[in-house]
Amino acid sequence: MRISTNLQFTQSLNALLARQAESFKTQLQLSTGQKINTAAQDPVGAGSIVQLDRARAELERFGANSNVLANRLNLAEVALTSTGDRLLRVRELAVQGFNGSQSPESRSAIADELEQQLEALFALANSDDGSGRYLFAGSQGSAVPFTPGPGGVVYAGDQVQRRVDVSPSLSVADVAPGSEIFLRVPTGNGTFAARPDPANAGTLVLGSAGLSGSTPWAPDSYRIVFDGAGGYSVEDGSATVIATGTYTPGEAIEFGGVQLRFNGAPAAGDSFSVQPSPRQDVFATVQGVIDALRLPSATPEQRAAQQNAFFASLEDLGAAQEQIIDARSKIGAGLNTLDRTTEERASQVLSLSTTLSGIRDVNYAEAASRLSQQLLMLEAAQATFAKVQGNSLFNYIR
Amino acid sequence: MSDPFSIGTSALLAFQRAMATASNNVANASTPGYTRQRVEFSARIGQGQGFGFLGAGVQISGVNRLLNTFLISRLDSSASELGRLQVLSGLANRVDRVVSESGTSLSRPISDFFDSAQGVATEPTSAAARQAMLDGGENAAARFRTQANQLNQLDLETGQRIGNTVDEVNSLSAQIARLNRDIVRARGEFNQPPNDLLDARDQAVRQLSAKIGVITFEQDDGALNVQTASGASLVLGNNSQTISVTRDPFRLDRQQLSITSPLGVTSLPTAGLGGELAGLFNFRNQVIDPALAQLGRMAIGLTESFNAQQRAGVDFNGNAGTDFFRPIVPSTLPSINNGGTANFTTGISDVGAMSGRDIVLRWDGTNWQARLASTGASLPMTGTGTAGDPFIVEGVSLEVNGVPAVGDDILVRTGSDAARQMAMAMTDPNRIAAALPVRSSAALGNTGNGILGPLSIVDPSDPNLQAPVTIEFTAPGIYSVNGAGAFPYTPGDTIAINGWQVTLDGTPAVGDQFNFGPMGARSGDNGNARLLANVGNVGLFNGGNQNLTAALSEMTSQFGGIARQAEYTLGAQQAIDNQLQTERDAVSGVNLDEEAANLLKFQQSYQAAAQIISIANAAFDSLLAAVRR
Repeated sequence: MRISTNLQFTQSLNALLARQAESFKTQLQLSTGQKINTAAQDPVGAGSIVQLDRARAELERFGANSNVLANRLNLAEVALTSTGDRLLRVRELAVQGFNGSQSPESRSAIADELEQQLEALFALANSDDGSGRYLFAGSQGSAVPFTPGPGGVVYAGDQVQRRVDVSPSLSVADVAPGSEIFLRVPTGNGTFAARPDPANAGTLVLGSAGLSGSTPWAPDSYRIVFDGAGGYSVEDGSATVIATGTYTPGEAIEFGGVQLRFNGAPAAGDSFSVQPSPRQDVFATVQGVIDALRLPSATPEQRAAQQNAFFASLEDLGAAQEQIIDARSKIGAGLNTLDRTTEERASQVLSLSTTLSGIRDVNYAEAASRLSQQLLMLEAAQATFAKVQGNSLFNYIR
Repeated sequence: MSDPFSIGTSALLAFQRAMATASNNVANASTPGYTRQRVEFSARIGQGQGFGFLGAGVQISGVNRLLNTFLISRLDSSASELGRLQVLSGLANRVDRVVSESGTSLSRPISDFFDSAQGVATEPTSAAARQAMLDGGENAAARFRTQANQLNQLDLETGQRIGNTVDEVNSLSAQIARLNRDIVRARGEFNQPPNDLLDARDQAVRQLSAKIGVITFEQDDGALNVQTASGASLVLGNNSQTISVTRDPFRLDRQQLSITSPLGVTSLPTAGLGGELAGLFNFRNQVIDPALAQLGRMAIGLTESFNAQQRAGVDFNGNAGTDFFRPIVPSTLPSINNGGTANFTTGISDVGAMSGRDIVLRWDGTNWQARLASTGASLPMTGTGTAGDPFIVEGVSLEVNGVPAVGDDILVRTGSDAARQMAMAMTDPNRIAAALPVRSSAALGNTGNGILGPLSIVDPSDPNLQAPVTIEFTAPGIYSVNGAGAFPYTPGDTIAINGWQVTLDGTPAVGDQFNFGPMGARSGDNGNARLLANVGNVGLFNGGNQNLTAALSEMTSQFGGIARQAEYTLGAQQAIDNQLQTERDAVSGVNLDEEAANLLKFQQSYQAAAQIISIANAAFDSLLAAVRR
């Protein structure tokens, strides 16, 4: 077939330029490290990159969330550990203070130290997260959550507990609001509380209070009234007498699923109330210990009242300690979850990055060998171009 | 006269001209559109003698172009398609870069924006996090605007190129008409083909075809009639017809074509065109408009859903959340031909039903009919067009104002004008509505173990949403709401009141209370911020099946795919064109080696012819010498 000189020239040149463009493209891929610079090079891949990039950025953001949350949870855990230690010390002091060998003066000294502990407890409950936001205030992090007031502690926080997203499908609870940690502690043994009537005039002392085990606890407000002549009667919430009996010190009295033992001699009309555990705050509990220590203890009746107060305080203190431990373990569980999701996220990020790299990144070995092949072809094209174009019959016409 | 002198002379002349023609071929070896020429020799008719016919030498019967006429029209149509694809591919590549290149694409700013919202969800009371979210929103909005600007700029450039191309078409048509006149005249004068004029005309037709796509018909007198593929005549004999650019009836920045013929001005449908003009119009219809529509739909989706979520929360000052992004209003453009005064007040009704495409509504005298602006396909529409019951079409609500005349058209840009409008509506970080509007609490004195689960907002528009509510257990398993009613309760029940709902678990004791009320100011609640941060993951588009990231991914793929497709088709068409060019040049192209050989051949023939004269002269001399003796 005939070939026109012009066409031969143009088409060889075009082929040469095409080789050049190819090797340039490969060189660009090698220098940027990416094989997709615009979507036209791989539309489907580019679409996936958008989604994968977003998924990775979101995971990284969840990582940042997790760090912020871990910081708060750690700070809260430290504060609650200290709170636990303080309560332990309060318990020690209480036990020491109620020891019969203590004089009123030494009791008062112990009460003074307990007041210091109470202040320290307030400070702990008002811990902040290092940037001025109170940890135990629910959503009201900018206001001091716990302040002592004439009628007891005033809580300025609320009961909102944030949750923070730490993975696409998982959120972890932030620090629980202070109301759920320091307030709302069940008194008594957690199920019911047996408390003396403040007007009791005898030397009746509650020895032990527990669930009977044979009949289930029937929640109601009971009152056990002693007639001072060796008998007692039990009234339920609607003042109906449900049981009567003879009081023997140290003998168990059972009703409504509870079992109580009393010692001492009741005066006529002395009574104890038994009701579902009312809630009380930690600070009031400690204040209760202080108040009990400062009770007069001159007469046997006063000593009985103090002993009853002591019994109640220790019960309440135990419940408070348990609540703090509960709160700590919840925080610990949250931190555990954070650790676990951190690992999960790391492996997800790794797998996303691997996928992304497969779509977007250049395989250097492949690209380098492709480039050397393209350069070889380019050189060959250049060499033959010059030879073929230099070859003309006119060269031989002399 | 058949004597060696005249035979030799005829040969000398003929070979001289053949050498001239070969030289001309060599000279034009690189001239675009040049067709190789050849001198056609023929023997002169000899003189009859008694003994027979004596040859009388050689004559030139013509100088002809060597060409395959079938290839010409194929090359013309290839030039048309090549012109279209070159324009389309070049422009589509630019859109692809706008959409997908990391420096201009939407994906990073949107991703960063949602990350900054997550930041607020983690630290709702941090002023820095709130400011970062505002900045993130502004960046995302700015990127929407930048993309819209770049696309609009490309559209503007397309408009200018349409104008320029039409000018070139007109000048080429005029040139062809002039060439037609010259060719007809030259043929009449010499009764021989005017080769170079014909080459020039073929070349002009090829160029014209690359601009607009033509088919040609040759008249008997040699004039070439040229028309577009759709049959609009561009050149008729000596006359060319002018194409002019007129404005679109709806949009000042868009063009239509019309053609001026002796019969008057008629509109030239762009659908039947080829060449670069088709590429430009294709680019508008197939790339720019869908890209703006998709972009706008995403802008509206993000604005609407984010604002709705904002309104479902309360801000740091305790006030109900307000719009985060400025609400986007689809624009309407009444046709300049409208006789009436009707227009629409527009609003967004359902993002999930939106496609973002432009639609046209026509008043037919009794009803408004909606159709797609691009294809004319009719669209379903509900409503009556009043404020209380607006028309709903393509997810947009339209309320009619003014009085239409029969045949009035109004263009509604449901999405294509939206991305440009994307902007922040707030500058105060405290107005980010991170908190839920309702706060729940259990009374501190509760003795039961009833536990409130997380509260969620079902209907943020409920007028009593923040009204204080107290749930009190009046008997085991029975509760009252605000002191009224006796509702049965089993642990784990979901209680829904006043647009919010909450799950209550455990066994509350009689007398236990649960209180609900407004969140109040300076709240560190992040209930709504978490939902804000999740807006990008919630299905918004295609009836709620596609989230923002997926829409972005689809858009990237779609326009990358269009650019790639155009590039591939262009490559294929280029190969076809190269093949046709090779076929044409196989016949019509100049080969220098061949011309060199021809020159040698004609030179030798010329030398031989000169020898004839010399021999004849020698023979005559010997005759004279014989006579002189």
